[in-house]
Amino acid sequence: MKGLTLNCMDRKSEAYELVRIGLKNDLKSHVCWHVYGLLYRSDREYREAIKCYRNALRIDPDNIEILRDLSLLQAQMRDLTGFVETRQQLLTLKPNHRMNWIGFAVSHHLNSNALKAVEILEAYEGTLEDDYPPDNERCEHGEMLLYKISLLEECSLIERALEELHKKESRIVDKLDYKEQEVSLLVKLGHLEEGAELYRVLLSMNPDNYGYYQGLQKCLGLYAENGQYSPAEIERLDALYKSLAQKYNWSSAVKRIPLDFLQGDKFREAADNYIRPLLTKGVPSLFSDLSPLYDHPGKADILEQLILELEHSVWTTGRYPGREDKEPPSTLLWALFLLAQHYDRQGQYDVALSKIDEAIEHTPTVIDLYSAKSRVLKHAGDLPAAAALADEARCMDLADRYINSDCVKRMLQADQVPLADKTAVLFTKDGDQHNNLHDMQCMWYELASGESYFRQGDLGRALKRFLGVEKHYADITEDQFDFHSYCLRKMTLRAYVEMLKFQDRLHSHAYFHKAAVGAIRCYLKLYDTPLKSTSEEDDEMSKLPSSQKKKLRQKQRKAEARAKKEAEGKNEESNAGGVSKSGKRHVKPVDPDPHGEKLLQVEDPMLEATKYLKLLQKNSPESLETHLLSFEVNMRKQKILLAFQALKQLLRLNAEHPDSHRSLIKFFHKVASMPAPVTDSEKLIWSVLEAERPMISQLQNKSLVEANKNFLEKHQDSLMHRAAVAEMLYALEPDKKSEAIKLIEESTNNMVPKNGALGPVREWTLKDCITVSKLLATILGDPAAALRWKGRCAEYFPYSTYFEGKCSSAVPNSAYNQKGRAKHSEEQESADSIAVNGKLEAFKGLSVQS
Amino acid sequence: MVCIRKATINDLLAMQACNLFCLPESYQMKYYLLHILSWPQLLYVAEDYNGRIVGYVLTKMEEESDECHGHITSLAVLRTHRKLGLATKLMSAAQNAMEQVFAAEYVSLHVRKSNRAACNLYTGTLGYEIHDVEAKYYADGEDAYDMRKELKGKKVHGHSHGHGLGHHHHHHHHEGGCCSGEAAKPEKAEARKVERGNTKAEAIAV
Repeated sequence: MKGLTLNCMDRKSEAYELVRIGLKNDLKSHVCWHVYGLLYRSDREYREAIKCYRNALRIDPDNIEILRDLSLLQAQMRDLTGFVETRQQLLTLKPNHRMNWIGFAVSHHLNSNALKAVEILEAYEGTLEDDYPPDNERCEHGEMLLYKISLLEECSLIERALEELHKKESRIVDKLDYKEQEVSLLVKLGHLEEGAELYRVLLSMNPDNYGYYQGLQKCLGLYAENGQYSPAEIERLDALYKSLAQKYNWSSAVKRIPLDFLQGDKFREAADNYIRPLLTKGVPSLFSDLSPLYDHPGKADILEQLILELEHSVWTTGRYPGREDKEPPSTLLWALFLLAQHYDRQGQYDVALSKIDEAIEHTPTVIDLYSAKSRVLKHAGDLPAAAALADEARCMDLADRYINSDCVKRMLQADQVPLADKTAVLFTKDGDQHNNLHDMQCMWYELASGESYFRQGDLGRALKRFLGVEKHYADITEDQFDFHSYCLRKMTLRAYVEMLKFQDRLHSHAYFHKAAVGAIRCYLKLYDTPLKSTSEEDDEMSKLPSSQKKKLRQKQRKAEARAKKEAEGKNEESNAGGVSKSGKRHVKPVDPDPHGEKLLQVEDPMLEATKYLKLLQKNSPESLETHLLSFEVNMRKQKILLAFQALKQLLRLNAEHPDSHRSLIKFFHKVASMPAPVTDSEKLIWSVLEAERPMISQLQNKSLVEANKNFLEKHQDSLMHRAAVAEMLYALEPDKKSEAIKLIEESTNNMVPKNGALGPVREWTLKDCITVSKLLATILGDPAAALRWKGRCAEYFPYSTYFEGKCSSAVPNSAYNQKGRAKHSEEQESADSIAVNGKLEAFKGLSVQS
Repeated sequence: MVCIRKATINDLLAMQACNLFCLPESYQMKYYLLHILSWPQLLYVAEDYNGRIVGYVLTKMEEESDECHGHITSLAVLRTHRKLGLATKLMSAAQNAMEQVFAAEYVSLHVRKSNRAACNLYTGTLGYEIHDVEAKYYADGEDAYDMRKELKGKKVHGHSHGHGLGHHHHHHHHEGGCCSGEAAKPEKAEARKVERGNTKAEAIAV
């Protein structure tokens, strides 16, 4: 029977078979059950594994090994009551093991009984000799004590926690955590003076920790969550930070934080003092550091004036206003750089571009300038030009992965996936970029690539990427398994409990959210436009003229041959067995579906979508997107009540959102068009809806047409709201299509007011206008209106390639192209062949002195 | 401008993203988990004013060997956030913790031979010395310098460890982000050699 275990190394099905035979022969063998459980465990089938262990324990209830294995699974599956029981048994069987005491305590803590956990830890301490701990266990013992104190704090036994902390001071090795724990307890007890003193000590140890400043402010009664302070408070804060600045003059935090609370002239003065030395030094992150201030009313304008003045003064005199010392030439460069980013943020892309061009002319070798220009162009809507600029930056320092990544990101935004892949591969070890980036869990890349494939309609590859990210999260959940026993041994109990909490909310992380949303969108599209069969494709081919047909066929054949060759190459590589120096990597199995074609063969896309939808509903219930997708999926599945639930969530989160309005109208319009209920369940659904409809305020005593009109009156001036109303008008009354289109075309794009006058920037965003353009072309199906819209938007967004604005790289004679900037043709594939300004080759291999 | 603080479990995903964006050596999440669940005191992050992680240091203790010592697994600062002295601040914080909590005798690290900016930072501002060269240490075949730095306050538990992180502030202007590949200016490297009078450092600070 022991031989069975060996078998599970690589031949899974045989192993299962053998274990099952073993069990048939002797159902009463705990060894067989244990091995059966281990097999399931290795396959991540934890629920089944737990059952097997339980059977084994029924036969041999005191088997320590099986109990320990069971406890790990219970921790992993968060079967907390079971976990407590198992840990109790382990402690009863072996009370002389430290790990069993600790494990029992932690199990109670996890099972929401922190007080019991404290009792157990104290009982454990009672078993220790007086001279405990020996030198080599001091750290671990100290960690245990800090864990116990954090438990007391969690139970709101603050005074006892503080007392214990002081009593055990000499045994707590980690003095930084000691102080941080102490100050937290002092503040909770209201001992604010002592708290303030301790925060000052912590600050002297690390004057760059913002948390300590915030803590100090709280102790002094000078902290407001919303950042709003009275004039008297501002004065006190100002004095506080002036005194702190004298003590920690090398800390940048003491200089930056006052910019948050100071106002008006005092703000201006402080900002001036803050910005000057950083421009002189050439700190590239200065704008990103200042950017949160743009959300404070009035500060953006002050900053604009201030930087313009500095720039003007340095440009004309070489000095800052009121100073004798000459500035180095680079100061002007960084002032222009800052201004460009300022105007970019304000949406004045033309000014931003002229400033950054001026800076590039001043010093053409500073890479940051090209990256910044690339970002401005992206915001302005010229994605290919942005990618070209980022590539120019990349070529200026080929050894820097950051600018490589930045460039790959821009290329993916411009839907240049093959080029992006070739560029990314320069920094992955074995030249097999996808697998390497995937193996290293490079999620930003997989998401950006998936989104690009989705935009291009390649659902297979898009799904491949999105599900790849989803798998990383499953793997990370899996990663915790080994730590259930490891942390009890290592005594890193606070970190362990934090890790479990982190795992419990892992799927609420932004990257997972994006991946799940992406996958669901793919499945929706797949459902709406099912895969074409081969014969249909041939049909389409036959419509093309023969010359084109030939070309297309040739292209296809070439692509197939290339793919085959690539796959073979990979096979060889993996047969050779890429074992890295760490020996961690196993033989890589060849991906049988590198382009996600098999992913498209799913029988029921909505069933697949529902899997990921459930994760979103559980982990991102406050996201409008979650419920929008739920609405879309359930409408397609004809799950009326689930769709209604989603609708109610949308109305709860934001009833005024255009998409909430769309869903509301669509839903009741669909319900009205359904045949009268026949079956009992249908009747039940109707009665629920009939009871619920009057509760929806938007529909009280109103028809859908009236509700739609009402929504328009409420949001007259908003483009996106008008578009939603137009779309619904057309859905409700298809004969009113021209009225719907008029509704959109009569929207006005006003100037955003600035300082009580009209500012230089209009209200509408490029993204919204593109959405409207697609609405006109597809759902409303009026190409002429779409063309009119395009012409109008080309005026608003001269850099937009989508609208073919006159300055964009999409227009052959645009200002952009006349300057000789990147000429992008569709066929251009090699990353090396882009010549920009004709200077590119000269930059390569140059190390830049900045 | 940038907050330097101990990393928490919640920072790990952002640390991994930061690593993948700017360093050629990357690790799976489990490796980050292993670090923080073994030595939670030894991970530090740099967080900018918008709450974004723009740098980190991932370090560990080598407990198996005879001399207890720390090791820098990975240090990264985004290119956009160089010239702020973040690498120095992160390293000092981690080194202090190694010394104070684990009584580390010295701290070691590996660096690509070709990464001159990083080499200059370690041998110059941070006071590391080249201990050895490991041939073909990196997967692409490049050699690594094995560098070490002695830590002073050995085996004294429980005394104050208030060495401010700002001790190196007057060096900030020397430093390029270690991942930026930016070459340090020769005259500054020169000045540092003189300051340190270290023959080993001269070998690389060309």
